[in-house]
Amino acid sequence: MMKSLKMLLCAVLLCAGTAASAHRFHAGIADVSFNARTGSTEIVHTYMAHDIDALLANMYGRQFDLTEPDDQEVLRKYIDSRFWVLGQDKTRLRVRWVGVSADAERVTVYQEIEKTPLWKAGAIHNAVLVDFLPDQVNTVNLNDGNAVRSLTFDRANPDQATR
Amino acid sequence: MTKLRPLPCALAALFFHHAAQADDLVLQRVLVEGSRMSQLGIADSANAGTVGQKELAARTAYRPGEMLEAMPGLIASQHSGEGKANQFYLRGFNLDHGTDLATTVDGMPVNQRSHAHGQGWTDVNFLVPELVGRLDYRKGPYSARDGDFSSAGSAQVSYANRLVKNIASLTLGQDGFARGMLAASPEVAGGTLLYALEMMKNDGPWARPDDYRKTNAVLRYSRGFVNNGWSVTAMSYRGRWNATDQIPLRAVEDGSLGRFDAVDDTDGGNARRYSLSGMWRQTDADSASKVSAYVIRNQLDLYSNFTYFLNDPVNGDQFAQPDRRVTSGVDATQTWHVHRGATIASDLTVGARLQNDNIFNGLYDTRARQRLNTTREDHIVETSGALFIENATRWGEMVRTVAGLRADRYRFDVRSDRSENGGRTHDTQLSPSFSLILAPFESTEFYANYGHGFHSNDARGTVAGIDPATLETVGRAPGLARSRGMELGLRTEAIPTMQTAVSLYRLDFDSELTYIGDAGMTEAGDASRRYGIEFSNYWRPLSWLGVDFDAAFARARYRGATPGDNRIPGAVEGVGQLALTVDKLGPWSGALRLRYFGPRPLIEDNSVRSHASTTLNGRIGYRIGKDMQVELEGFNLGNRRASAIDYYYASQLAGEAAPADDIHFHPIEPRSFRVTLNRTW
Repeated sequence: MMKSLKMLLCAVLLCAGTAASAHRFHAGIADVSFNARTGSTEIVHTYMAHDIDALLANMYGRQFDLTEPDDQEVLRKYIDSRFWVLGQDKTRLRVRWVGVSADAERVTVYQEIEKTPLWKAGAIHNAVLVDFLPDQVNTVNLNDGNAVRSLTFDRANPDQATR
Repeated sequence: MTKLRPLPCALAALFFHHAAQADDLVLQRVLVEGSRMSQLGIADSANAGTVGQKELAARTAYRPGEMLEAMPGLIASQHSGEGKANQFYLRGFNLDHGTDLATTVDGMPVNQRSHAHGQGWTDVNFLVPELVGRLDYRKGPYSARDGDFSSAGSAQVSYANRLVKNIASLTLGQDGFARGMLAASPEVAGGTLLYALEMMKNDGPWARPDDYRKTNAVLRYSRGFVNNGWSVTAMSYRGRWNATDQIPLRAVEDGSLGRFDAVDDTDGGNARRYSLSGMWRQTDADSASKVSAYVIRNQLDLYSNFTYFLNDPVNGDQFAQPDRRVTSGVDATQTWHVHRGATIASDLTVGARLQNDNIFNGLYDTRARQRLNTTREDHIVETSGALFIENATRWGEMVRTVAGLRADRYRFDVRSDRSENGGRTHDTQLSPSFSLILAPFESTEFYANYGHGFHSNDARGTVAGIDPATLETVGRAPGLARSRGMELGLRTEAIPTMQTAVSLYRLDFDSELTYIGDAGMTEAGDASRRYGIEFSNYWRPLSWLGVDFDAAFARARYRGATPGDNRIPGAVEGVGQLALTVDKLGPWSGALRLRYFGPRPLIEDNSVRSHASTTLNGRIGYRIGKDMQVELEGFNLGNRRASAIDYYYASQLAGEAAPADDIHFHPIEPRSFRVTLNRTW
């Protein structure tokens, strides 16, 4: 009996040995562009579904279904508290929540700054997921119609000027 | 030539592996279109699962214990007043009040060991359903993380740290039911203060109303996230009730008793539970740490009379089983997450658990709750420690293994009013477990599980010298009774919108050890063997319709007994449910649930059996605006006349000349309705 238990213990311990590295990269992307047809600046966030799901589950201790309006509201509250755009006068521009779509791979959040061209944005605060995942890196792509410029946000750098 | 010793080599390999990095340890998937959380790639057996807050809220529950019926194959019943711990059935067991079903709430054990009335006493009346975030369950002794009472299954209830919305709820129902509940979770000082208050009253259909009144309060302060943060929680529960215990069938058949009458109209009890607990968790890319600690004060006064005037024709047979205890404990686990190559990943977890119970309980003859005679009084100090190690490895896409080893040591210290029944003893057990999971197809997994488990025996039985009622010499029981389980399982989502799981298992117990609290002595039964098959199916044919169909069958026998005389009384042979859940139909939602509670042999020779029963519960919800909902719940819609529980034993009523062997039953409640108004903000 003791011999078989020893062998089992050995097998368990050996399973833990000889490790190599592998690491999931935690990243989010927000594309910000001006829509000339509507006159509004549109923001499209894309996050890993796994990260958003783990975030909400660890905030509220339950699962969420992001096709449900009530559950989308929970994500809206979180995004609104972690992502905002400041105007040139340092006041917050009103970012309207348009909606969210989710599949097994990614969660996409749609927002817009109504009747506002992109140049009116002076700075962006993006701390989405960085409170939950210390290594989260968020990239914001600013598309002013002529060129795309990327800003990088992480836990140490949640605020960036747009120009 | 030097001989290599395997254990030191393995330890060396453990400590000299390369630095590792890891993903999040929480592996969950986004739920889409109301689907249920997939267990593919997560669960280690076909029988394990998680029930989310919404699924729990969509169920009808006559009593809090029925929340555990979300675990397929489980039945929660009641044979007495509502404040008493439920009677549970699972996997061919009559689990009495919780033996072999380990229940925890936020890491605190609910089962009370060496309890005055029943080993593993599981009173879940302190649960506030609105605070429950998830229910995780598994069945069988296949996890090194599970210890005492978990051989049939384990249920872990987790409260949320914060609510999506604050909620106030008012319910009024037939049979004197009324409930008010308020819960909120404001942000305070950089954290979240969760508080809840629940008050409930229920008379039930009984000729002598239960007059069950309970008050529940929860206060929790938390910081951070569940996996990276801490919380401190205080809970308070107080309940008191009258009890209509089981009544003899002969008296109902001859018209001298109504189905809802009581024989002894002074049965009942009161219970109090206060707890203070804390949990700290830290999770990073390479590891996860968790430490929880708790102090629980439980107090129960219980007055029962199951045999009426059999033992005492003058005063009657009522007895009291007071139990006062302080349970304290610490749990700690540490997980290291390591990768080997691109496809192999392991979680190595070590854990420790300490628990101490300081218990004062007794057994007294009473009349109308007044003490007449002391059968026994005991002071029990029961201390246990456990260490476990578990390794879960993904060997690529197709193969996973979980190997574990657990060591438990129990110390029993009993000081009894009779010196012959006091003393100290201890018991130790090593429990290996192993699971192999094969995933040859993207949406199908096969499981093979093997493991050992146990339940502890009542401390009083481990040092027993004489039966305090008859003064006959009795044998001492071992502290721990080992179980051995093995199981083959299948889980598939190959059919779109359908999740199906099938388990085929065998579970052996060295001894069906039970402390017969009603008699004040330990009974060590024969060894037992159970075979069973379970089928669990969830189908979402339409975005607004969910269908659950679960069925479980079990064959339970004593081993070593004469064939034909080897049935295990109360062992349930079949359980099933068919449930339809409707939501996303504009403001409407609803559910209908048909529950099948299969037959049970009531004595070893199977000559007396209980009947199966099928009951239908339902609910209809209507949302008024964004923040208000009205809900109508109906119980036993078919108004079936069936038993919640049956026993077969001898009793004697006042006026009867001799004892009579008979079926004693507690009826299910007749059709009743409750209306609830929920307001959120």
